[in-house]
Amino acid sequence: MRGKGGKVKEKVRISVSGIRGRVPDAFHVELVSQFASSFATFLDSGTLALCRDGRPSGHMLEMAAVASAVAAGCDCTCFGVLPTPLLQFLMTRESFSGGMAVSAGHNPLPWNAVILLNEEGRYLETSEGAEVFNIHEAGDFRKAAWRDLGHRNHGAFPMEDYLEALGEIVDVSRIRKARFKVVADPCNGAASSCLERFGEYFDLDLIVLNDHPGRPFPHPPEPNEENATQVEAVVKATAADLGFLLNSDASRISFVTGEGKALSEELTFPLSLLALKGRLHKIVTTTSTSYLADWACQRIGAELIRSKVGQSGVVHAMEEEGAEAGGEGSGSFVLSSFSHGYDALLSLSLLLDLATRSGGLKEIVAPFPTFWRKKLKIDVPPWETYRLMDRLEEAYAEENPDIIDGIRIERDDVWFNIRPSTTEFTLRIIVEGRSEAAVEAAQTEIRERVRI
Amino acid sequence: MRTSDLKISISGIRGIVGQSLTPQLIIKFAEAFSTYIGGGDIAMATDTRPSGEMVKSAVSAGLLSCGASPLDLGILPIPSLQIYTREHRLDGAISVTASHNPVEWNALKLIKRDGRFLYPYEAEELLDFYFQGKFRRVEHPLTIRSDDRGFQPHLRKIKECFDLSAIRRRGFKAVIDPCGGAAAPYVSRFLSELGVDVVEVNTEITGTFPRGPEPLPENLTALSEAVKRSGADIGLAQDADADRLAAVDENGDPIGEEYTLALAVEGWLQHRRRGPVVVNLSTSRILDEVARNSGVDLIRTKVGEINVTRMMARIGAPVGGEGNGGIIISDVHLCRDSFGGMVMLLEHLAKSGAGLSDLKRRLPAYSMIKEKRSVPFRKRKAIFIRLLLKFPKGKRETSDGLRIDYPKFWFHVRPSNTEPVMRIIVESESTETARRVAEEIIEEI
Repeated sequence: MRGKGGKVKEKVRISVSGIRGRVPDAFHVELVSQFASSFATFLDSGTLALCRDGRPSGHMLEMAAVASAVAAGCDCTCFGVLPTPLLQFLMTRESFSGGMAVSAGHNPLPWNAVILLNEEGRYLETSEGAEVFNIHEAGDFRKAAWRDLGHRNHGAFPMEDYLEALGEIVDVSRIRKARFKVVADPCNGAASSCLERFGEYFDLDLIVLNDHPGRPFPHPPEPNEENATQVEAVVKATAADLGFLLNSDASRISFVTGEGKALSEELTFPLSLLALKGRLHKIVTTTSTSYLADWACQRIGAELIRSKVGQSGVVHAMEEEGAEAGGEGSGSFVLSSFSHGYDALLSLSLLLDLATRSGGLKEIVAPFPTFWRKKLKIDVPPWETYRLMDRLEEAYAEENPDIIDGIRIERDDVWFNIRPSTTEFTLRIIVEGRSEAAVEAAQTEIRERVRI
Repeated sequence: MRTSDLKISISGIRGIVGQSLTPQLIIKFAEAFSTYIGGGDIAMATDTRPSGEMVKSAVSAGLLSCGASPLDLGILPIPSLQIYTREHRLDGAISVTASHNPVEWNALKLIKRDGRFLYPYEAEELLDFYFQGKFRRVEHPLTIRSDDRGFQPHLRKIKECFDLSAIRRRGFKAVIDPCGGAAAPYVSRFLSELGVDVVEVNTEITGTFPRGPEPLPENLTALSEAVKRSGADIGLAQDADADRLAAVDENGDPIGEEYTLALAVEGWLQHRRRGPVVVNLSTSRILDEVARNSGVDLIRTKVGEINVTRMMARIGAPVGGEGNGGIIISDVHLCRDSFGGMVMLLEHLAKSGAGLSDLKRRLPAYSMIKEKRSVPFRKRKAIFIRLLLKFPKGKRETSDGLRIDYPKFWFHVRPSNTEPVMRIIVESESTETARRVAEEIIEEI
């Protein structure tokens, strides 16, 4: 694992956030085949739903997954290039025993991933994941005899049902009347092919950039301010009402105002909450999400609960707590009455709905309190992470750190969360405070302490 | 000592679905093949086994992983796949078929650019790649394409090679039995184009073989019945991947695969270009007779299609084959081809004006016994030594197991490439002698 100068050479991450890695050196058909066999063995029987996000390696990895699931006796229904949240939506309405999404979401090329979904379309819970990984390690795959092999079918996603379900949450006629002009950047990802129909349904004047799945990503597929330059420019040039960016499987979204100014992805979650004012009582977010979530929950009179970082942590905490919605600062939002997956098009619909009532995006975010935020990524080899986190916990012992995921420290004017990423070999650090100075000071302090 | 039902050998990889033949193994094997031939366009085709789809999906994944562009030809006879590969100048092909093995088996067979199987030394090189597991994987895999006209090049080659007018004029009636296998979607139309009135048996694709997939006499009862009932001139049976052919005469009697090859070769030598004939060491002495009658040489090789076709290419033999019903016509392609074999038999009938039973009667009558016995791996050598001691005076041939020839009989004992058994073949003019010798051999085993 240790490469030159302590750099990480092998790049695979295996957790309930998916089995992901760099194609082809670390992440390849054999690995995917083994995990698909393990997962199908875990499920035992029934039909799996599959989709992918349009990365060049997607079809290949899907074939490996299908061959393996079929060999373990599970049927496979393949929906081709489709956003993962749409598959998750379908899984709440049709009966599948599980799902596999071949998509690395926000990871750059040439990464890819296989995300395992339970029968309701949720990311696997930690204990479910552990069972799959145990089967994998034991190599104890179910082998169906020739007459019991599964079958592979092609599925057609019911886009109209999906749009109608969105239409039950938002006020479609008001949105249609508003005739919004919107600039979209699906980053050559899975949503490329369904945006046109989405635009028609809501009567949008939609300008779509980067809508060729299979082509290289025009920028890292992470929706945030840094990657929004192109959308900002097009919004200005076309005098659009707003713009947005998606990650490759359309589970995350960030917005650009009509003035051509990108908003932080941290705003997506609170915006979605505000749009649902009066309909939500209990919300889950992670230990790494902005105060804006607390603020938004106060505004709409809902209780906020914090969970582990990542879609698996949030959706399972929602189920346990009976929460109606959840989300994260990465631009993610999930509404349990709609589906059990982060869905960018749901957030988009909610924002359009909000805009019909509260004016332009700039006006909507005007009352948001100003917090200063800094997100840092520090590369740490996995074999250093353990001791480092231990040291940090000791160092902050007096401040009673919250250890749901990494450590979270709360002070009067600032909070921060330091945790190992589940999708990359980095330490993710988020600092948020009421003043720039407080954030700077905390950041300097963390950098000192993390130095390895 | 234990042996596995999984066979990874120079013939490819073969095993039982649900036991030894896992998707992981198939993916790895396809990766090894794609790495070995350096990517490019690689065709894939299956027979009608239910596991074909699963195996093909795994093959596609493995091919894509190492930079190849898979071309899916669906269900297709293996000779048609071989011809397609050469005619379309592809870089290689993988056939997903366990040919005559029972339905729970499946296998990959590897085909080169020239539409022939890998030479043993090439296959050994590939196995080295496979066992090391070091593959040249690519960052940007290509896409899968498909073509549903996979049979066309095969049909075209046969039309180029044969003058079909004699067959058309004769207006045959034939019963076909493709065993619900890879030939099932094609064989009726193929024979109709030759002006043959076709009666179908086992042409439905159900995924289970309606009879034993080998075209052995005991598997051809339905075909025999249909021939008798319909008053057909001939019954034609193919195996699951359509490389082997066996005929039933106009009285409904199976003539045996050995006679099928012999009559096809005789027809060719009488009505077409003469030239040396190549067959394998397990093939009947009838072929010696057929060659002698036409004044051409007969050369014998190790068992295995690639060994026969290599020799045919080297000496420019127009025809050859294997006694199990594998007929090879070099002008069509250097592969065992049941479709070409059908044309040869029909042409022989048309031009000689005789019935199939007459043609068979004109050849010497031999009795052949084919047996197989599972033998522990380490005991194989000892068996050969015991057999040499028991039959000291015959002419020995040891290039492929052991063949010993006496004037009145011969036998061939060799380890199978496809199953964990020893194959035993004994032939004599006297059934009595053949049976006695076979018993003596089995006693030693």
